[in-house]
Amino acid sequence: MDPAEVELLTETLRKTMTTVASGPALDTALLELGWRELLAEYPEVAVPTVFRLLGETGAHASVLTDVVGAVPLPYAGGRWVEWGQGATAPGAGLDEELPLRLLPAGRPVPVAAGRRAVGWWLLGTGRAMLTLARGHALDRVQFGRPLASFQAVRHRLAETLVALEGAEAVLAVAEDGLGSLLAKAAAGQAALTAARHCQQVLGGIGFTAEHPLHRHVRRAVVLDGLLGSARELTREAGALLRAEGAAPRLVQL
Amino acid sequence: MSAFTTAAEFRTAVQAWLDEHDLAPGPDRSLDAQVAQLARVRRALFDADWMRYGWPERVGGLGGPAVLRAVLGEEVATRGLAEPGIYSMVEVLTPTLISYASPDLAAEMVPLLLSGREQWCQGFSEPGSGSDLASLTTRAVPQGDHWVVNGQKVWTSLAQYAARCVLLTRTAPGHDGITAFFVDMDTPGITVRPLRTMHGVDEFAEVFFDDVIVPADRMLGRPGDGWRLAMDLLPHERSTCFWHRVAHLYTRLDRLLDQTEAPDDAALGAAYLALHTVRCRSHATQRRLADGAALGPETSVDKVLLATAEQQLFETVRDLLPGVVELTGSPWRSEYLYARAATIYGGTAEIQRNIIARRLLDLGRD
Ligand SMILES: Cc1cc2nc3c(=O)[nH]c(=O)nc-3n(C[C@H](O)[C@H](O)[C@H](O)COP(=O)(O)OP(=O)(O)OC[C@H]3O[C@@H](n4cnc5c(N)ncnc54)[C@H](O)[C@@H]3O)c2cc1C
Repeated sequence: MDPAEVELLTETLRKTMTTVASGPALDTALLELGWRELLAEYPEVAVPTVFRLLGETGAHASVLTDVVGAVPLPYAGGRWVEWGQGATAPGAGLDEELPLRLLPAGRPVPVAAGRRAVGWWLLGTGRAMLTLARGHALDRVQFGRPLASFQAVRHRLAETLVALEGAEAVLAVAEDGLGSLLAKAAAGQAALTAARHCQQVLGGIGFTAEHPLHRHVRRAVVLDGLLGSARELTREAGALLRAEGAAPRLVQL
Repeated sequence: MSAFTTAAEFRTAVQAWLDEHDLAPGPDRSLDAQVAQLARVRRALFDADWMRYGWPERVGGLGGPAVLRAVLGEEVATRGLAEPGIYSMVEVLTPTLISYASPDLAAEMVPLLLSGREQWCQGFSEPGSGSDLASLTTRAVPQGDHWVVNGQKVWTSLAQYAARCVLLTRTAPGHDGITAFFVDMDTPGITVRPLRTMHGVDEFAEVFFDDVIVPADRMLGRPGDGWRLAMDLLPHERSTCFWHRVAHLYTRLDRLLDQTEAPDDAALGAAYLALHTVRCRSHATQRRLADGAALGPETSVDKVLLATAEQQLFETVRDLLPGVVELTGSPWRSEYLYARAATIYGGTAEIQRNIIARRLLDLGRD
């Protein structure tokens, strides 16, 4: 696909995700747009585009099951969850919108592709929070000046952008198991960094249920645990390094 | 034209050559020895042509893409042949000469640097002008067909070894009043006074200019081009140089893995993730450069990632080799201390965040 086609696709998807209700309706809309064919033919475009946009728009759909399979998914702490198909009842998790259900047990499944997908989702979620916080910093006036003129606020937002840009670079080259593990860890860490800084910049308004921030914060926290949290994956990478006795150089010029 | 069509092909050839030619440094870790070793490595690599790939033919190069220089530097760093900080200085100084010196001057001078016959330095910072570089006050005044320079530079790396200096001076008020010169360091009136550093490798010096006469044809660009020259130089520093430095840091993580008897998977993994992140980012930057993109303020992201990863790595070293930095004479001590400068040189951590806020996030003025 050439860049113009990808852009067109992105705009169509964005429009769909912002106009169609998340959940089963969005699942159907994505199928009609040819999501499964896209995933089969151009996974390197399909996964980053669709999952990043879910994050940016705050929408959700059960597309992860198309990537990993409709199977129990490993969650942080050795737990297992199920992505409910067609479920409309609110979940009981921190992010009530996601149809995630705790399961008593599961069986190991290949996770590399799923980690990349959830990584892109986390990245989009982080970008959404940064957009909200940036807008607020420019609009809100205190002490007779926009918040954006205060260096402490600027540096928090800069820190957020650095984390997100770093994670995006890692996601963009992730291929094998270790690369995907690192990409998920970087994306989880970046989204949690974004959540922390953006919540602070948004002050009281960001703590209200009316403001959209809390939905993204919840999503970031919940998605970080899915298929392994940043903390767990980082430790796993360390164990792997120790077993190998050297640090793999994953990307080459 | 370059004989190599891909970076991978070039890497294989360089590796084969380096396997055959032993350029390993001796045991002496003094700065004198490091600079001598650097000259030896450059000279050998230049004479064997490796050092000439990726530079234009008009300055003694053999052409080919800049990525070849990144690959060569990665090999040099991975094998520990030269200290990467001083090895990479050519990446900043050479493009400056190519862009701003007269073609004759660039053709005459650049081979002297690439071949290790000379070291050069970069005289930007002054006692009163660090982060606020545009406030610099070292003056250059025209007199006949030359200029007379008076003032002082500070923190000038390798000034005590340098044959030439890329010097920023003030010729008029404001950003447009900064003018760059390429100055011979043996010109009468220049005094270099080495400074002691915290990490024991006294790499920088103070440089005093007392009625120093500089020929007009040593001006880099035109009067007032100095600020643009300084800004143009940063993306060079943050592409190829960073790739070299990242390669160097991977060798230190390997060394830590080899030596630690108190492994901590979370800390090792976090140090590795930070390094991998900056490597991926730097990889993307090299790609953009190769595609002809002009690098700009987005390289401040690379800079923040690198400085953060470097400091995290050396804190992990201290944690996982308990007492080694503090109590033994191992080389880790100097490297541990040097990492503290990573958020100071090349634009401080705060200045990078200011740039990101202003230029990338478009937050307006602070
Ligand atoms: C190892 C090393 C090698 C160097 N080599 C060279 C060289 O070869 N050539 C050369 O010209 N220079 C060199 N430098 C100098 C380096 O570029 C300066 O140290 C650097 O630009 C910072 O300037 P400063 O030291 O005057 O600190 P200052 O600018 O005085 O800053 C002090 C502190 O205040 C903060 N600060 C300053 N302004 C702001 C602001 N607007 N907002 C928020 N915080 C701010 C800084 O971030 C820093 O934390 C070297 C420095 C080191 C440490």
